[in-house]
Amino acid sequence: MNGESERKSSIMKEEATKTNMDGHLDGAGVDSLTPAAPPAERKQPIQLLDGSGYRPWQGRLRPRWTSPWPVARVALRIMLRQKLLWVIYAVSLLTFFVYFGGIYLFAQIDLESLTQGRATQAQVRMWTDIKLSLQKNLKLTGDAETFRNYFWFQGYFVMACLVLAGSIVIGNDFQQGSLPFYLSKPLHRWHYLAGKCLVVALVINLFTTLPALLLFLECALLEVEYATGQGRVFVGILGYGLTLTIPLSLLIVALASWLRKTAALAMVWVGLLFFARLMGNFLVDGMGFSRQWRLLDLWNVMYVVGSRCLGVTAELSRPESRASGMPSPPRLQPDLTYALLVLGLVVLVSLFFLHRRIRAVEVVH
Amino acid sequence: MPPMGCPVGMKAIRLFASCVTVKSQVGRGRLFSDRPLGGGGRYNGFMSHLLELKNITHRYGPHVALKEVSLSLPTGAIGLLGPNGAGKSTLLKIIMGLIQPSQGSGVVLGLPLAGNHLTLRQKMGYMSEADALIQGLEGVEYVTLAGELIGMSRRDAQRRAHELLTFLGMEDARYRKLEEYSTGMKQRIKLAQALVHDPPLLLLDEPTSGLDPAGRESMLSLLETFCQQYRKSVILSTHVLGDVERVCSTVVIIDRGQVLRQGRTADLKTIRQDHYRLQLEPVHKVPVYIEELKSEGVDVLDVDRQQTLSVRVPSGWSSRSFFALADNLGMAIRGLERDDEDLDQLFQRLLRSPAAGAARPALAANGVAAP
Repeated sequence: MNGESERKSSIMKEEATKTNMDGHLDGAGVDSLTPAAPPAERKQPIQLLDGSGYRPWQGRLRPRWTSPWPVARVALRIMLRQKLLWVIYAVSLLTFFVYFGGIYLFAQIDLESLTQGRATQAQVRMWTDIKLSLQKNLKLTGDAETFRNYFWFQGYFVMACLVLAGSIVIGNDFQQGSLPFYLSKPLHRWHYLAGKCLVVALVINLFTTLPALLLFLECALLEVEYATGQGRVFVGILGYGLTLTIPLSLLIVALASWLRKTAALAMVWVGLLFFARLMGNFLVDGMGFSRQWRLLDLWNVMYVVGSRCLGVTAELSRPESRASGMPSPPRLQPDLTYALLVLGLVVLVSLFFLHRRIRAVEVVH
Repeated sequence: MPPMGCPVGMKAIRLFASCVTVKSQVGRGRLFSDRPLGGGGRYNGFMSHLLELKNITHRYGPHVALKEVSLSLPTGAIGLLGPNGAGKSTLLKIIMGLIQPSQGSGVVLGLPLAGNHLTLRQKMGYMSEADALIQGLEGVEYVTLAGELIGMSRRDAQRRAHELLTFLGMEDARYRKLEEYSTGMKQRIKLAQALVHDPPLLLLDEPTSGLDPAGRESMLSLLETFCQQYRKSVILSTHVLGDVERVCSTVVIIDRGQVLRQGRTADLKTIRQDHYRLQLEPVHKVPVYIEELKSEGVDVLDVDRQQTLSVRVPSGWSSRSFFALADNLGMAIRGLERDDEDLDQLFQRLLRSPAAGAARPALAANGVAAP
């Protein structure tokens, strides 16, 4: 560690020496947004460090709409330094590899060549069973249902990761008093919010949309006509990703700004997404209430909307879902209109709360 | 000046309008806005007044944090002095446009407060009282981020961060995590992030808080340098009188949301020149001497255990008269000195004054603490 810091220090000393001597650094690594300075400005004498070592600064500033970017970049850097994130991500990749392998296997099993070749009857039967299982139970055929189920299964990992993201990226700002640091800069509160939501959105899509797109790419590589035939699925994946990203990022930012501490956030988040699901299932399946009660389960609500984006129904037949052996979506689903209304409500309430919450001043009663 | 405050809808429209403006600039290929910055002393040459506030009132719910504050402050170092909960931080945040006052208007650095909060913040550096650090970042990353948030390019911000950290004596600590910093280092890095864009105005909220004597001395020297050598304006919010006396040429004393006194530090210190302290002997004749003084129109304010008198003399009084009276009574004056009030005593007196006391019961009843 010390060696590393000494190395960095020596590099920076060299850089500082260059800066002091030349007044500016070499062209390498010039920011792409740096404007071409007019010739008159370039020829201005550079102010060198004076006796006290302080050098006044003059320069041009970037437009304000770029402000969310540094907020997001720093938050992302902090987030990516968390080992727990990588642990959760590694576990979530298991689902991805199951899907990846399954899709590959499904494409590679050629029953016709097996029956015409040297394979025994038992081998043919085994491969037929595997292919049927991949097709009917796991639905790894590469169609819209494959991706719908993939998004559903990733839910638990996304939820776990969002607690971490909420706590570190947003909760800490409120807990450590960093918010006034951000807002004391020429930064609108919506710039700050956009930066933070951008990071959360990236985390969500890292678990869902990105691997789904990789699976789509795999399908396209395995079958020549896939990409043209299943173009709707590609749009659907993006739509499902957007359906998850907008409400979840706003909701977790709002909750984290309210609760601040990881433990409290985790408890509320689990309550919101796990116990609400149990409650919904109990009311609909156990008590025979209307299926609209499943709207309590937010992940399921997004599943209903996302399924529609993919162009498939959200409802599964019970035997299929049970046969897969994995936690599956419920059979009876609420109406799409109500699901959209719930998501809209979540977004509006989160925005309203954040408008009130993101302030540089906190009134203590 | 336009009135303060606007409904949420108007804010949204304004924000949208600003986005449209930026879009149109980008459309014409102007990636950078015309927002030159820097040259810290620029404003000092043109402006006699740093800020002017008129009848600023701010409420946190039922609690009145600032009550009809009117100020006209020159450029230079200004001390905002007051006890905890006086409204200093609220006033700083209003000046920055972080909060909009419930009533009143103002002009800061030549710009009206209303509608210019982002532009104003661009011309200011703010050092908050709270830590306001981002856990997990290294020192240099933190200052770089501050520069980028202002709008500097990443390369400029990085270079500036290294310069400032070297200037502030944190060369060896710049790659350390912020949570590993000592209190003194935290204060210095907070100053570095405020200085990153070389603003003409620095707003410092309790900059010496938590520092040891050496650290405090170092911080105050630094502030003096910025004010005198680089002609930066500094608004120093503190309850430490020594800091204000050391650095500031102007002082504003504020308590319970009201300005009790404002003026040049030197003027306020010497505002009282009619007070004396006397030591007499023999001690048993002191009561007679007091009676004589009273008959001459002198107010005897206090007599301590050593029979030292604190007195206030009428106008035209000569100190020789003390000796004449003592001579008449067969007494000797062992000590006579002017009892000029220093800032500390002025501060304490103002806090005890009826004007300060009047606001106290009503505000205390609210039980709401402003940050």
